[in-house]
Amino acid sequence: MEKAKISAYQLFILIVLFELGSALLVPIAIEAKQDAWLAILIGMVGGFCLYLVYHGLYSYYPDIPPTEYLQKIMGSFLGKILAFIYVLYFIYLSARVLRDFGEMLITSFYWDTPLFILNTLMALLVIYTVRKGIEVLARTSELLFVLIFLLGISVLFLIVVSGIIQISNLKPVLEEGIKPVLKTTFTQTLYFPFGEVIIFAMILPYLNRPAKVKQIGLLAIGFSGLILASVMAINVSVLDVNNITRSPFPLLSTIQTIEVAGFLERLDVYFILITVIGVFFKMCLFFYASVVGTANLFKVKESARLAFPLGLAILILSITIASNYSEHIKEGLHVITLYLHLPLQVIIPSLLLLIAFIKNKKKKRKQSKNLFPKRKYRLVERDKK
Amino acid sequence: MNHKWILLFLIMTSTVFISGCWNQKELNELAIISAMAIDKNEDGKYVKTIQLVNPVNVAGGLQGGGSGQSPTVTVYTAMGDSVLEAHFHATSKVSRRLYHGHANLIVISEELATEEGIIDILDAFERDPEIRMTSRVVIAHHTKAGDLLKSLTAIDKIPAEKVNGTIQTTEKARGESMEVNLQDVVTTLTSAGKETVISGFSLKGDIQQGKKIENIQQSELDTTIESDGLAIFKEGKLVDWYQGEMSRGVVWILDKIHQTDVILDREGQENILTYTILRQKTRVSADTTNDLPVLTVRVRAEGDIREVRSQIDLTDPYEILDIEKELEKEIKKQLENTVIRTQQNKSDIFGFGEVVRRSDPQKWKNMKNDWNDTYFPNLKVNVKVEAFIRRSGNRTNSYLSDMEQ
Amino acid sequence: MSYVFIFKTKESKNDRKIQEINNQNQSNNRPPNLIESSLSKNLEVIKQKTGNSSDIIIRPLKIGHNSQIKIAILYVKGMVDNQSVNDSVIESIMNNQNLSEKLIPQDVLEVLIEDVVAVGGIKVVSDWEKLFTALMSGETITLIDGISKGVCASTQGGQRRSVQESTTDVSIRGSKEAFNESIETSIAMVRRIINNTDLWVESFNIGKMTKTEVSIMYINGIAKNEIIEEVRKRLKGINIDGILESGYIEQLIEDQTTTTFPTIYHTERPDTVAGNLLEGKIAIFVNGTPFVLLVPALFIDFFQSAEDYYERFDIATAIRFLRTVIFFISLVGPAIYIAATTFHQEMIPTELAIIIAAQRESVPFPAFIEALIMEITFEILREAGIRMPKAMGSTISIVGALVIGQAAIQAGIVSPAMVIVVSLTAIASFATPSYAVAISARLVRFIFMVSAATFGFYGIILVFIMLIVHLCSLRSFGVPYMSPLAPFIREEAGDTIFRRPIWAYKKRPRLISGQNRVSQGEDQKPQPPRTRIMKNTTNVEKGEPNES
Repeated sequence: MEKAKISAYQLFILIVLFELGSALLVPIAIEAKQDAWLAILIGMVGGFCLYLVYHGLYSYYPDIPPTEYLQKIMGSFLGKILAFIYVLYFIYLSARVLRDFGEMLITSFYWDTPLFILNTLMALLVIYTVRKGIEVLARTSELLFVLIFLLGISVLFLIVVSGIIQISNLKPVLEEGIKPVLKTTFTQTLYFPFGEVIIFAMILPYLNRPAKVKQIGLLAIGFSGLILASVMAINVSVLDVNNITRSPFPLLSTIQTIEVAGFLERLDVYFILITVIGVFFKMCLFFYASVVGTANLFKVKESARLAFPLGLAILILSITIASNYSEHIKEGLHVITLYLHLPLQVIIPSLLLLIAFIKNKKKKRKQSKNLFPKRKYRLVERDKK
Repeated sequence: MNHKWILLFLIMTSTVFISGCWNQKELNELAIISAMAIDKNEDGKYVKTIQLVNPVNVAGGLQGGGSGQSPTVTVYTAMGDSVLEAHFHATSKVSRRLYHGHANLIVISEELATEEGIIDILDAFERDPEIRMTSRVVIAHHTKAGDLLKSLTAIDKIPAEKVNGTIQTTEKARGESMEVNLQDVVTTLTSAGKETVISGFSLKGDIQQGKKIENIQQSELDTTIESDGLAIFKEGKLVDWYQGEMSRGVVWILDKIHQTDVILDREGQENILTYTILRQKTRVSADTTNDLPVLTVRVRAEGDIREVRSQIDLTDPYEILDIEKELEKEIKKQLENTVIRTQQNKSDIFGFGEVVRRSDPQKWKNMKNDWNDTYFPNLKVNVKVEAFIRRSGNRTNSYLSDMEQ
Repeated sequence: MSYVFIFKTKESKNDRKIQEINNQNQSNNRPPNLIESSLSKNLEVIKQKTGNSSDIIIRPLKIGHNSQIKIAILYVKGMVDNQSVNDSVIESIMNNQNLSEKLIPQDVLEVLIEDVVAVGGIKVVSDWEKLFTALMSGETITLIDGISKGVCASTQGGQRRSVQESTTDVSIRGSKEAFNESIETSIAMVRRIINNTDLWVESFNIGKMTKTEVSIMYINGIAKNEIIEEVRKRLKGINIDGILESGYIEQLIEDQTTTTFPTIYHTERPDTVAGNLLEGKIAIFVNGTPFVLLVPALFIDFFQSAEDYYERFDIATAIRFLRTVIFFISLVGPAIYIAATTFHQEMIPTELAIIIAAQRESVPFPAFIEALIMEITFEILREAGIRMPKAMGSTISIVGALVIGQAAIQAGIVSPAMVIVVSLTAIASFATPSYAVAISARLVRFIFMVSAATFGFYGIILVFIMLIVHLCSLRSFGVPYMSPLAPFIREEAGDTIFRRPIWAYKKRPRLISGQNRVSQGEDQKPQPPRTRIMKNTTNVEKGEPNES
């Protein structure tokens, strides 16, 4: 853990940018057809619950990252193994995000350029940033958030002005009933993008005001959930449901249909700008979490030195995880949700919370019995800024 | 330590430069396509015609000379077994890389649409990231699609612009044409509750004259291209052509009218009043209580009287009310005619199926598969029109009223 | 927070020998009681040390009863105020009654100090080093035969440039004075603005050979003690031959050298310095240059000019906003043009694309090379313009702009659109208030152009993010460079792109100022008078009916 502190506002922005990151890119919840926005909102509620679980764990161990308190809860050996699995999980997710992004660039704009080159550029930038630490990342996020916000507002404005929204495309609501919506939520939206907040369990220890963690996190998840739901709703209303299911990047298709004043058309670059920033943050956070986790697990003093090798690993992984786009998508939507996301995001943290809860109860009982507890260790003073 | 980083950095950056920039294309290395046309010839091969812009001849002026001597566009034709293959063959005729980013027009020939349908030819357009889904689609009426591209036009330097511009202004001013882009076509092809409608364009005159630059060096062109009604499709194949009031009826029910004129007969005389609609809103709703849904089309129109050829007293509100009622009847008649003819064609271009789907998805599921053939032709459609005359332009009564007869 | 010794050289055999000789020479003068009693010996040492320089004037005098006591007055011609030396020192000594009486040498010293020398700053020196420092900075030394002490009188003067208008930082409204090369004048100018005893000045002599006088100035109670301490520490650690300009100091004490962006602000204007001091910054004056350093400096400071505060807030906000846009254009202007015309042609409206394509038909180079040629030509013109004698300056710029540009277009080497883009960018880069940032922007612009030429908009946005990450990682004396935008401090953020009305500045910046943060009283917002007849309501006596 480095000696850094981030403020509440910075945490909020980090969570929002993270959530929006690659979720703006891919068609999330599209299996619910025109009720995709509903599936996203329900997923958001699920995200709240998951966040509360992670926050619960944080409140028991406010100063140490998950890789450490995993060992405290599950015992040293099992904890280390679990922590290692989580680190690998973060690395894998980071590689997935990179691959998603590279595929998008190639499909729409740079089809002659090899995937490796595009991914390398992004990976280099991410490595550079992570080396500088979480404080720099937080400050950068504040500035880039303003930029994304402005871009988003102007795109929204252009979409509305060009009159391509047809609300009727969103009807009928719940055409097939609530079941497909719920199914989509629990097999997809809950884990991507909302369940990925687990990454912030690694970052919460840096917050300078622990009391606000819960409030900020819930607010941020709610905010990003609303934005994602409305973006998806706009996508469906502009393109038709049928077109969306066949489009790999719905937001891009929406932006491509903007035509204002006869010359503001073909504004695909907006899309590149928004997604580059979003993907940058998502990758940075995943990557940072894995670097910090690795440094913590293997007792490396200077975590910045791990950035370059891990970054290379992620780069190569992003090329090798799938040999074509269909495989990549199928993995992402069907395979890893069941085998990776469900256990690692939901089951294990809940179990951990339970165990921590029980342990704490025992500790409290022990403490209340012992009226004059012996001080076992000195209290170490935290470094003031 | 620092040296190693510098060396590494240099190596990495130099590889980037040495290998070249893959996607980089200079503007003067591109052949900018402004329009594409698909035909089918007697051998059954697809004929693709592309209209390339000559930038130097378009811009002219600043660089001095050039304009007026050579045409602003050049047209090439190529053949192939599929659309993409025809496209590839075209590259052997052009010295530069074909660039579709600005291709705003796709023309499909009537024969191709009637015999084969358009279902098979659109996938290549949709999949290519360079081709915009907002490109307009047009059907060539009574001409070869390629001929529409070859004819040179006055006023608009690039013929594709003329086509798009004409359709746009016709839609806005008359309502007899409709801007349809690729996205709309694909959406309606895949949708079960709506069929495709595409605007038509035709060539008037001799194409051999139209190709030459002398054509546009006259005040009255020998060969021109004009907007020509709507093409009605059923399941991807062209089945009918609407023109005039019929096509306007379609545009009306689709709620795309901006401005149009309705001519009324009155007091036994024909074509007495012309009423210009300035604002209108059309709503279609479905009542699914019975087995066969009942559709209601509600029109609410507002406008002015713009031409009077008799001595009608327009200052009398009761007179205005009368005229309004006549208008409503006239509009209702025209719309009903359109509906009847469309029902005969058994192709639901109005999207009534979609309306039913939105109001009662369960019923729609049962009717989906036979909608066009079984249910649609037998639908009862009620047309209700509300027309309002607000003003009469800069004069109240016509000067005819003042003339001593 | 580390800094770099630029002038650390490797020691070779010769260097070592020279150092030994120097040490020997100096060691001769090392014992505390340096000055000899004998005047002639002192004068000999002085002559030897200064190589008998012809501008060091040695004036022997005889004072005392029967002119027994020998004294000598030394000064450097040109560095002293001649009037002061002649009237206050030499004449006072020659004509003073007290000195004519019978005196012993020790008494002479006291009499000189207390009665005779009519100059304000007087001190006594007893070792050579201090004596030479004083002599070389324009003070007049009086040596007395028989006493191993000397009297230094502060008679600095000589011809300096007078106080003139600032050439680099021009303003329409506000004081037109600028600092000049004399450090006393500069410090005095700031003192005139801040008439407060809390304005503290500390002086150092930095530079082995030049012994330049460097002063730091801050307001006690507002500036942060840690920053003051850090500045002192860094200044004391400077160990180089000579300080010729404040730029030397800037480069030796800055936080990070691996960046193109400046972390220390410099200005020529006293009102800017005063304004910043009030916020808690520290000013560093260097003798010999009118440019004063201000520390710590944030990115936002380089986009502000003192004038912003003299105008009203709505205009100032609009102008600041414009500056941001202009800066952005000057950074990415050519890059966007290159990216749009080589990678993303669909972004350009069709008519414009055709026009640009037509222009590019005749140009043999790809867009990037064209941009490079134009940019380099512009840089050449700019450099030439600086060195041009004033008479020819404007002619050359007209020649450069019109003739060369137009001719290049007609020859078909560059396209008109590119000329427009590059000229706009160049003009935009002049609109940035701070020259240092404009230079950085010039360098970074090339990086943007290269990235645009290789990867189009993707390259631009990547470099942009890298730039932001880099800026966010900088610190200026411990303060994050990008505050108050990132970390977002709401109270101060209003002063970055916008400018809050003066009455809204309640507190001083959090990260820069120290203990005392409240800068205004309550209720500073101006109000119209409360009654229609302009009666001052505080004067309404109780019981008196209010006329309204």
